[in-house]
Amino acid sequence: MKNDNSKKLLLLPMLLGIFLSAGNAHAMHISEGILPFNWAAVWFVVAVPFVGYGLYRLKKMSETDLSFKPLVGLMAAVVFIISCMPIPVPTAGTCSHPCGTGISGILLGPAISILVSAVALLIQALFLAHGGLSTWGADIVSMGIVGSFAGYFTFKALRSMNVNMAVSGFMAGLFADWATYITTSVELASGIRGDSPFMPLFWKILIAFIPTQLPLGILEGAMTAGMVVLLYKKRPDLLIKMRVIKTEEVAL
Amino acid sequence: MQILSEYFKKDHFLSRIDARVKLLIALALLVMVLSYHGFVFPVATAIICLFLCMAIKVPLRVFILRFSEPLFIAAIVVLLKLFFSGQDALFSLNIFGAEIVGHRDGFREGLLIGTRIIGAVSVIAVLGFSTPFTEFMAGLSWFRVPKGFIEILMFAYRYIFVLFEDAQVIYQAQKNRLGYSTVRRGLSSFGTLAGTLTIKAFDHSQSTTVAMVQRGYEGDMPMLKHKPFKATEVTFSVLFVIAMGVVWKM
Repeated sequence: MKNDNSKKLLLLPMLLGIFLSAGNAHAMHISEGILPFNWAAVWFVVAVPFVGYGLYRLKKMSETDLSFKPLVGLMAAVVFIISCMPIPVPTAGTCSHPCGTGISGILLGPAISILVSAVALLIQALFLAHGGLSTWGADIVSMGIVGSFAGYFTFKALRSMNVNMAVSGFMAGLFADWATYITTSVELASGIRGDSPFMPLFWKILIAFIPTQLPLGILEGAMTAGMVVLLYKKRPDLLIKMRVIKTEEVAL
Repeated sequence: MQILSEYFKKDHFLSRIDARVKLLIALALLVMVLSYHGFVFPVATAIICLFLCMAIKVPLRVFILRFSEPLFIAAIVVLLKLFFSGQDALFSLNIFGAEIVGHRDGFREGLLIGTRIIGAVSVIAVLGFSTPFTEFMAGLSWFRVPKGFIEILMFAYRYIFVLFEDAQVIYQAQKNRLGYSTVRRGLSSFGTLAGTLTIKAFDHSQSTTVAMVQRGYEGDMPMLKHKPFKATEVTFSVLFVIAMGVVWKM
């Protein structure tokens, strides 16, 4: 009986994993309507102060640099395009999509990156049916807040330990992606559990996401590393302007 | 990339309604769909929205594209709830020696969420199909959404198309040079593509700022001035929301 239960525990998430990884899944976005009203409202309440702080930082930065608002808008367009680009996930035999919040967290800082994600998510929700208006708050929390902070702090921590640019970028992209997917699992489990206990459903959703999100995190890490290294080699002035590196680091 | 709202015939009875009115109706319907504990209201909302989409002649291909992902997610949620939630056994399957039990109450819960997804997606689809983005942003400013946010939204929307064309050119060039022939090369190419887009975004932001400053930009962009609400639109909207509210209450 115990053996049968353990088989079931493994088999069911595997089946769901196959379903979740089929097709061009936008697995990071929580679909419109999936969260009940109370949970949708909770995630909005969590997201609002962060977005507010992002707007405050935007105002402060654009007071001294007139090009800052256009730059943030354009970075939002870049994040939008990156998160619409299909990249192959070998283990799932399909395509999936990176978040792009790790790189925006590194380049613009987490506060502005949250704003960038909020804008990209709103356009996607309204015109591409990726995510939704009612789940906008939850998507901002998982992709914008958690993704940006995870990417930013990982990159900063590794750089402060003199880890090279490529590895720091890779780990930042990796952790930003995985942190986003863990948060999405929490949001989904809390939203759809009904009267069932939270933890078993959370683990099942987390396991079901593995076929796509585990390799996708690695791919996102590689993409982030590629971007950071390219900028470092070709346009270090941008990284200096965005306070990612100091002038002395380029001279070295 | 398909900005789906650009694919439909723009001049129809819904596109002529004030964006603020459409936003208010959509938000009211969303709240009702999300807070309803049954099948009737979300299904009724989805049917009304389906007829509206047909009335404004949304191409079938666009319609299918728009709904394929939410339908897929709804199906997943039904399966998830069927097998992982509930106590009342409906059927059982034996797969590789493991018994999987489908539950009646889990299936009902899954259907509730599934219909909620379809109802909510239908509402937002009609809003998206009937509201040009510029009008949507003007509507947001009326709702007192911070100006900084709307400005970023405007810049982003304007440059998505410019940067997407750049991305397509780079991607084709990389592909022609076997940049995506192996996973390793594909990753490297994708990183280069994304990095180049960032460089282009930075350069565009500098040239845009120079052009805007030459035209008097001092850090804030002017917003569209709103026309007064039309009495007929407001009356019809209030009656429609009340009627839907009655269905929601039943």
